[in-house]
Amino acid sequence: MKTISLYVDKGTILNKIAPESKIWYVIAAISIPALMGIRWAGIGMIAVSAVLLLYGKVLRRTLPFLGVSGFVLLTVLIIQGMFWWGNETPLFALGPAVFYVEGLRYALGILINIINILMSFCVLILTTKPSDMMENFVRRGFSPRFGYVFISVFQIIPQMTDTMSTITDAQRSRGMETEGSLAVRIKAFIPLIVPVIMSSLINTKERALALEVRGFNSRKKKTFLNEEVKTAADRYIQIALPVLILAAAIWRITQWLA
Amino acid sequence: MAIIELKDLHFSYTAEEEVINGMNFIIDDRSTAIIGQNGAGKTTFAKLLKGLLKPTKGEILLNGRSTKDMTVAMLAKKVGMVFQNPNDQIFKYQVLDEVMFGPLQIGMDKAAARRNAEEALESVALSGLETTNPYDLGLSVRKLVAVASILAMDTEIILFDEPTIAQDYAGKERLKEIVRKLRSQGKTVITITHDMNFVADVFERTIVFASGKKIADDDTKSVFLKKDILERAYLEQPDVMKISTELGWQESFLTIDEFVGAIKR
Ligand SMILES: Nc1ncnc2c1ncn2[C@@H]1O[C@H](COP(=O)(O)OP(=O)(O)OP(=O)(O)O)[C@@H](O)[C@H]1O
Ligand SMILES: [Mg+2]
Repeated sequence: MKTISLYVDKGTILNKIAPESKIWYVIAAISIPALMGIRWAGIGMIAVSAVLLLYGKVLRRTLPFLGVSGFVLLTVLIIQGMFWWGNETPLFALGPAVFYVEGLRYALGILINIINILMSFCVLILTTKPSDMMENFVRRGFSPRFGYVFISVFQIIPQMTDTMSTITDAQRSRGMETEGSLAVRIKAFIPLIVPVIMSSLINTKERALALEVRGFNSRKKKTFLNEEVKTAADRYIQIALPVLILAAAIWRITQWLA
Repeated sequence: MAIIELKDLHFSYTAEEEVINGMNFIIDDRSTAIIGQNGAGKTTFAKLLKGLLKPTKGEILLNGRSTKDMTVAMLAKKVGMVFQNPNDQIFKYQVLDEVMFGPLQIGMDKAAARRNAEEALESVALSGLETTNPYDLGLSVRKLVAVASILAMDTEIILFDEPTIAQDYAGKERLKEIVRKLRSQGKTVITITHDMNFVADVFERTIVFASGKKIADDDTKSVFLKKDILERAYLEQPDVMKISTELGWQESFLTIDEFVGAIKR
């Protein structure tokens, strides 16, 4: 079967626990290393996320996200490594480009932070049904609009890639080259991008209409399709994670005082 | 006349599941409809024929030559395909430019491309709309623009994926006319469709797909008389045939014309 959603139900515990518990995990994964201010905490959290993703059978689906951000991270590493203001000790040189210890160390910190944030979000997004997440937000008093925008973003990304590949097929079928030299790719840009934009505009209009006719704008309080389920595990998680965050904060304060 | 031959054709997107599961048949000059339930593998077959996907095993021969070592661009000169959704291809600001895009891409000179485009627009009855912006047209008309844009490429083989979707009566009649005309010009016409009445009205041969296999292949009337096959593929008979069956008649009819002719006798 072909799936276009980022979420797939693999039937693991991660799919069963409440979205809120996973949201707490994201908050903890980001705030604990930030509060403690040591690099190893970040690396530790990355390891924890990796284990969770592996356990949730979605580690492979994380790779594209890491791939895309990998490019950005590489530029950070290069630029900071060469030009960070505190650079003093040269580490190695590639031709005329000299890389410094301080800059690379600084970039490494950024790298760990970003990968950590990305992977903890993956734990949430890849194992949580978008509609459950939305219900959770709305139950906590967020506007349904916020919930809608939130899940749309996660649905639109895979849908766009799907549309994009159909459009590429359609234009190649008419004899257009899409691969090869830069000139070929530039020439292919307009025939590919115009249909993408037009179809997403058309889709957006249809979505808006579909929501409208189903009473999305009604001011009445909405009822929820699903009962909120909170397992024993959820209760523990939702106590344990805030306690850990607090502990990290206290640890940091004692470090200061000492 | 083009001959398409499938030899032990296999294809899968993922390791777990084969989508095309060992197909062997020859498509000749008869107009051919491919029908089957959702997910039967019809679109996948079309993409294999266009070279957009490569067989995992087996091959397709076009006039005796394997498509294995032909590029998508080479195949574009031989096989034209009208995609289901016209919004997936239209990008020009004027209908005429859109229709001329394919012919120009496959190496026709400007004058020939223009001549073909105008002819194609005429055959879908859209002459006079040359300078209109395609996105100002309704979906059904926009689809006819997409059809014209493929007709203008003047390929030996023309493949339609769900041409009748979103078409009103007039649009469907026009499509039937186009199929008949292409057929009389000696082109190979193939359609993928869920519209049984459309199949009954213009297609000489019908092939039924189910779970990546061919489960029936005969002249259209014979296929629609095989009730067990239709049930297995979750398909139904064309309306006219249902009526004659319901009436308990010996004879079966495929089209309204045949049916009316019989009543008048
Ligand atoms: N890009 C893809 N990746 C993975 N699986 C796919 C992909 N495209 C199609 N499939 C799967 O392959 C199978 C056959 O799909 P195909 O689109 O060929 O069916 P179809 O006969 O055209 O159906 P429909 O009548 O719904 O158009 C389906 O199970 C579908 O989910
Ligand atoms: Mg299909």
